[in-house]
Amino acid sequence: MTTAELIRRLRESFGPAIRSVAEPVAGKVRVAVAPEVVVRAAKALTQEYDARFLITAGIDSREERGCFDVDHIFSLDNDNIFVILRASVPGDSPKVAAITPEIPAAGWAERELQDLFGVKAEGHPDPRRLILPDDWPDGVYPLRKDVKYGDWPPVGDETTDAPYPFKQAPEGTSTVVVGPFFPVLEEPVQLRLFVDGERVVDCDYRGFYNHRGIEKMGDSELSYNEIPFIAERICGICGFIHSSCYCETAEEAMGFRAPRRARYIRGIMLELERLESHLLWTGIAGHILGFDTVLMQTWRMREPLMWLCEKISGNRKTYGMNIVGGVRRDIPKELHPDILGVVDKIEQEWSQLVNAVEGDTTLRARLVGVGMLPEATARAIAVVGPTARGSDLHIDARADHPYAAYDEVPAKVITHPGCDNWGRVLVRLLETLESVRWIREALKQMPDGPILSDEIPEEIPSGQWGACTIEAPRGEAIHYVLTGGDNRPARWRVRAPTYANLQALPSMIKNETIADVPITLGSMDPCFSCTERVEVINARSGESDVINHEELLARSRAATERLRRR
Amino acid sequence: MIISKLKEALICFKAGRVTLPYPFQPHEPEGDFRGQLVVDVEKCVGCGGCAEVCPPRCIEISDPSHDKRVIEFFLERCTYCARCVEVCPEDAITASKEYETATNDRNDMHIRVEVFMSTCRRCGRCYEPPTPLDRLTVTGFRPPVGEEQP
Repeated sequence: MTTAELIRRLRESFGPAIRSVAEPVAGKVRVAVAPEVVVRAAKALTQEYDARFLITAGIDSREERGCFDVDHIFSLDNDNIFVILRASVPGDSPKVAAITPEIPAAGWAERELQDLFGVKAEGHPDPRRLILPDDWPDGVYPLRKDVKYGDWPPVGDETTDAPYPFKQAPEGTSTVVVGPFFPVLEEPVQLRLFVDGERVVDCDYRGFYNHRGIEKMGDSELSYNEIPFIAERICGICGFIHSSCYCETAEEAMGFRAPRRARYIRGIMLELERLESHLLWTGIAGHILGFDTVLMQTWRMREPLMWLCEKISGNRKTYGMNIVGGVRRDIPKELHPDILGVVDKIEQEWSQLVNAVEGDTTLRARLVGVGMLPEATARAIAVVGPTARGSDLHIDARADHPYAAYDEVPAKVITHPGCDNWGRVLVRLLETLESVRWIREALKQMPDGPILSDEIPEEIPSGQWGACTIEAPRGEAIHYVLTGGDNRPARWRVRAPTYANLQALPSMIKNETIADVPITLGSMDPCFSCTERVEVINARSGESDVINHEELLARSRAATERLRRR
Repeated sequence: MIISKLKEALICFKAGRVTLPYPFQPHEPEGDFRGQLVVDVEKCVGCGGCAEVCPPRCIEISDPSHDKRVIEFFLERCTYCARCVEVCPEDAITASKEYETATNDRNDMHIRVEVFMSTCRRCGRCYEPPTPLDRLTVTGFRPPVGEEQP
């Protein structure tokens, strides 16, 4: 389907409710609709056009037009089209009908909209706070323009001191509180598992304890060329993805593309980062399951890769290569043998590891059929990356919405029909080999030329926008940039992949044992960390029992050990 | 069970010893490493381009009098992006290979540069173009909107 056809069909269905349509770049359409029909339009997009929900971005446009803009971003993966459904709601009484009842994937996005912009999502099934802390005063919405960067909220009184309204444990279950620091998640996260004996019945989630307000900083403090360096610090493992994604988006908003050579360099660095991330993840997954040799050996393989990145970019991990308009450092011919040497070695050792894992009966017994995420559920919650591909969904931003050099050197999409932890593990293992192949191919085809564009406009008009996705190791990241005055964006929206994947957790761990929770969570690679303790509260007696990190890990490892003995 | 342990041992033996005896043996970083900043006081012309592009805002500029400009680097905030190195028109800032920056004394992480800013009394300007300030624009420096181009 082309965008023209899409617009024509939308106009036919909604007539005058469609207020305006803009398509500044081919394949990126923004459709402003009347707020009354936004739910109907969103439903039509997902059901009739097979669109996938990505994220909602709120925009405070009260100064310019006296309204808040609510932009729901959808992607038509088969046609390489992004559709932004915009509903403008009045600035004095901001509320919009929630699309979550129709599109469950929007659950968090709309809760975030309520928290940060004060735009009420009416009819949301779970309107509790998502991001703001428990003692944050009501009526202060940090991303509104009248809240300045660096403002501290007024001190809360007793009314704001109320405890967070966690879900009640279902009848006959006990609550296992994991967190506020979760043993296998890097982020501070609180997970309340409702368990019946060893089986998990349901869970409740409270996170964002470490929300850093980077979006606010982007639209009130930083300039266009400073954001890439801050964006790189959104994630410690896939930082380059965020800086690349921001740069590609900002370039699109400004109306040009980076030179070809720069795009190849971005692609190569992105794949090197994917290798790094997948190797790291495999090691940690082995650690959780009690295969410490896997941890030691994958991390040994990974170290030469880190040194290689240091040689290319000047730093092991925060490469700092991107600026708007291109990259800062070239990959000269002299470095090609180094890169090929490192990736060849990885490929050779990795193939052995893949064979060993595929043939390991203990691993199979531990992973097959655990953490089930059926294809239909995965589609409804709109999970991304290997989590989706392990459920046989053919979603990969590299193929669906080519960026960097992926339009010239296509990447193969690897899927697995398992829908379980095993499927997700295999997808990651095989993707690693695909990355090696891609790097080799890209080095071969890399054109000569400048690495920084000379088309960067002198004046950047405000009100232009761009949206891009980039396939990070753990799923697709999306950035949405709206240009503003003062040499900085008016709005910069970031969605990291774990944001989409974590919402699938309740259905993944349902009916699993507590010992399987760490690896099920781990199988979606949600930024790992070792953390402090787990508290078990017996719901009936109110007794509390504290388990530390070692004990949870021991439970997970004991499950493997039992299988080995068999 | 024992066979699988033996297999694991074999894999580890094959890899050999890879751990480096750091810190007893120094480890030189690879390539153009972006380590701690070094500022050549003699070369600085006081243009302020570095302070303008610094993402963590660790470079501060003050003009205590009309002919003196003080540029201070608070390196404990530095994120080692080396943007300042890139935009400096006089190559006064370089990123060294130094990465062992742990210290007990905050002052070790401060660099203070005082530049004497003289103005030509006869013609009002001192440089023939291209001046070092003109060169800033070719290194990606973009002054904030609302301020005059240097």
